[in-house]
Amino acid sequence: MLPLHSNSLARRPFASPLPLPPASLPSPRETHIWYVVPDELKDASLLYQYMELLSPCERQSVLRMNGERLQKGALLARALVRTTLARYTDGRLSPKSFKFQKNRFGKPEVEWDKYDLWAPPPLQFNISHTSTMIACGVTLDLPIGIDIEEKQRKTSNNILSLAHRYFSPVEVAYLKTLADPECRQSEFIRLWTLKEAYVKALGRGFSGTPFKDFTIRLEASNSKQVTGELKSDAPSIVVEAVDDPGILMNRWQFALFELNNSHYTAVCMERDVKNPADGENNSLKLEVWRTLPFVEDECVTETDAVKNIIR
Amino acid sequence: MASISATAKSIPTRPRHSLQAVNGIFGLKSVSISSLRRSFPSIRLQPTPMRFRVCCAAKPETVQKVCDIVKKQLALAEDIAITGESKFSTLGADSLDTVEIVMGLEEAFNISVEEESAQNISTVQDAADLIETLVAAKSG
Repeated sequence: MLPLHSNSLARRPFASPLPLPPASLPSPRETHIWYVVPDELKDASLLYQYMELLSPCERQSVLRMNGERLQKGALLARALVRTTLARYTDGRLSPKSFKFQKNRFGKPEVEWDKYDLWAPPPLQFNISHTSTMIACGVTLDLPIGIDIEEKQRKTSNNILSLAHRYFSPVEVAYLKTLADPECRQSEFIRLWTLKEAYVKALGRGFSGTPFKDFTIRLEASNSKQVTGELKSDAPSIVVEAVDDPGILMNRWQFALFELNNSHYTAVCMERDVKNPADGENNSLKLEVWRTLPFVEDECVTETDAVKNIIR
Repeated sequence: MASISATAKSIPTRPRHSLQAVNGIFGLKSVSISSLRRSFPSIRLQPTPMRFRVCCAAKPETVQKVCDIVKKQLALAEDIAITGESKFSTLGADSLDTVEIVMGLEEAFNISVEEESAQNISTVQDAADLIETLVAAKSG
């Protein structure tokens, strides 16, 4: 296989990318998720369009990845973040114009410029990828973490060994109750994505929020939590410190679901206390799009691509 | 820039996607990331700076053993070269891979790695150095 002669590629005029359709901002309790399936990318010119969006520093990082597959994944991830954020600026910001910085723990965030006549929306985002999917979650002004794992992912180590080492005692005990190895395997992966999403939402890094120090579990229905709010009937996902069991960290809400029939996906979002929920439904709302930026967007929220949602 | 074409030679086999005739990189006949690099001449790949080590670096055999464990855990294609300087992040290791690699290393070398130490490992060499420190501490 030989690539095209480099001169023809350098001179190749490609059309400006089609403008991205604008998207409405997420509402206070909403996470918007945009995901890309790398295998759906069949048009070579798209790689150029995406590469054009990146900063020189990002391009270097992409090319430093070890091997073509990882480079393509890294490129798509950056392109997904930039195009996703641009959608929410009503056409005022191009994907290329975004700048990023890291918080003091290393969590990436947008570095907004100051504009005279327009205030950019205070978007927060987080991404996650596997070799077969890249997902970007966006909220309006609320910390968010997202993690995806392939449903079929197998671990090299024994599940209980991993759990004993990295999970809390309550979580280990739960996994032990599952006799069926496949069930135990999938519950491990799902719990991993939830814990990962929580750590990423907090933004303090793996070492800032050790997995062993907190438990994520289901809380039975009709129980009053610390705030005194009565929950709805369905059990909900909660997080508590191992050292402070029973005091639920109500500040954080979760969603766990299956995406594209291929991935377990966990989202953790800070609860919006500025806008208290009207009525009883204060759980995390999701809107999900499958995308190939500049080619196709499909809202899949109410479809089979998003199922088995637990909040 | 001679190294660029080296990565374009062979395509990692991915059994799940055997339906796609992989004639070129990504199943596309004409374009590869390496040719993208030629189109963006402003990109110069900086070599990873050699780190000045005060202490002795790990033995080559240790580094090799770490490479083997990492390669197995990440299911890397044969043509992906791993050396001491390879960073886990550029090898595509996610957090679950990292903890599995740490556990694999603990088993292979009969050591126990603290969480804080594990967080400071970013290259294969770091892992090998840490292993030898821990092994020496055990027997010393």
